[in-house]
Amino acid sequence: MSSVKAGLKIEVKRGTFTFRVKRYDPKTGDYRWSEYKVEVTNRQTVLDALLKIKSTQDATLAVRYSCRMGICGSCAMVINGVPRLACETKPFELGTDVITVEPLSNLKPIKDLVVDMDEFFEKHKSVKPWLIRRDEGEQFEKLDSYYVQTEEQLINYLEFAYCIKCGACYSACPMVFLNKNYLGPQALAAAYRWSADNRDEGYVLRLKVIDSDNGVWSCHYSGTCSKVCPKGVDPALAINLLKKSLLTGKPPAR
Amino acid sequence: MGMVAKSTLMKWHYITGLILVVVLGIHLAFRWPSYEASIQWSGPHGVYEQLLNIGYMAAIFILLYAATYHAMNGLRTLLLELHQGRYWNTAVDVVIIALGIFIVIVGTVALVGALQVI
Amino acid sequence: MTEKLATKRNPPKWSLWLRGLDEWLLIFQKVSGAILAIYLIGHTLVISTALGFGHPSQLTWERVIGLIEGPKVVGVAHVGTIIEYLIALLVAIHGANGIRLILMQYFGLGLPKPERHTYPMIPSPRKSPQLVYKYLVIAVVIVFIILASYVAFVG
Repeated sequence: MSSVKAGLKIEVKRGTFTFRVKRYDPKTGDYRWSEYKVEVTNRQTVLDALLKIKSTQDATLAVRYSCRMGICGSCAMVINGVPRLACETKPFELGTDVITVEPLSNLKPIKDLVVDMDEFFEKHKSVKPWLIRRDEGEQFEKLDSYYVQTEEQLINYLEFAYCIKCGACYSACPMVFLNKNYLGPQALAAAYRWSADNRDEGYVLRLKVIDSDNGVWSCHYSGTCSKVCPKGVDPALAINLLKKSLLTGKPPAR
Repeated sequence: MGMVAKSTLMKWHYITGLILVVVLGIHLAFRWPSYEASIQWSGPHGVYEQLLNIGYMAAIFILLYAATYHAMNGLRTLLLELHQGRYWNTAVDVVIIALGIFIVIVGTVALVGALQVI
Repeated sequence: MTEKLATKRNPPKWSLWLRGLDEWLLIFQKVSGAILAIYLIGHTLVISTALGFGHPSQLTWERVIGLIEGPKVVGVAHVGTIIEYLIALLVAIHGANGIRLILMQYFGLGLPKPERHTYPMIPSPRKSPQLVYKYLVIAVVIVFIILASYVAFVG
């Protein structure tokens, strides 16, 4: 099929890459490395390559994915040492002939590149990431008016609302490695996202969780979470804004 | 330390941190111009001269208390980051408080005694 | 053989942390904090002993400090001098980085306001206030090293 717009030429390059995949075997409980050589174009992603490997070379390779367009957050994995979305990373843009693919660190492996996200989601849930109103009757039963929000109020939290819960930040965070119970960048950013929402009244309820030994205080603003986030959410900023709120006693700007 | 909010502990951690920059700065500045001379008993920059300097001694007292709080709270945070458990958490709190009180008492006795004699 | 769920997490990527100054500062802050806390206990005990626990005399001071300082190594510096010198370096880095964190987290200095996404997205640790902070930390530490080296080895 030719391009619709006249004069727009799509250049397709082809190249063969070696994929070194770190695989967890649930039967033995050990890791092993598998190597695959696969030809991809400059318009294909690491996920495309992994699926090609799965269909043409090794059907036992386990990989989790869903939307293939950076929206669902299922295919986060450590590619060339950095947690990224496999569906948003192109082999041609990595700049290496050998591409290492590993499961997300700081999470328990299930098989090969698939990790157990349970503790990650539990922590997310623990900060009550939903709209909390003082009057539940008004919120759920006789809601007859909209909760008004201005453009400025939206921008207070919009940046943090883009999170797709892929776990890249959680995997990159040194403090999650040190403290197994640390809530992690994702959950704390979600806590800020809802607390900074002018329609929400649940900041006080979330305090108990975020102001604890496993809450915001572990963060040292190394910012690894923000640097690896595929959606440009800035969890480190959210955590430090939460810290500022706790220290000064002023709830997040909303 | 379940009864104190972590934010209260950490607020004092930050406040003592700011205090420490000043008083620890003074403590280190008194090594100028020679570390060797500053740890001799006598001499123009010696320990005896330091003990006579009321301003410096006030800084040392503040340093003792601020550093003890800052160090013990920091140590507690680190120990709870390394491991957590019902008995571990209680044991950490007990050890940290006991250690803190011990340092404060030893330091205060030595400093007050030194001030009285001199 | 049956398949079982792993009980251990996947190991971290140290290479991700060891190439950025931010991560170095974090690891350093933790490690130096632990060393300094232990040093504080030792230092208080040693100085209190040297001050005779409230009964100071030149004799006790010189005996205890002489024992702790040990033999001479380079120039005027003893073994104890070098240990104190290294501890002072830890203090300088821990303090400089600590001030950065306090100013940012307590007073919000250099902490950007949340804003609408514009591409390419620059995470706050890579924005200019943070870079200024980190260069200041390095500058302060270098000045400190120069002064401390003079005090310990020359003066």
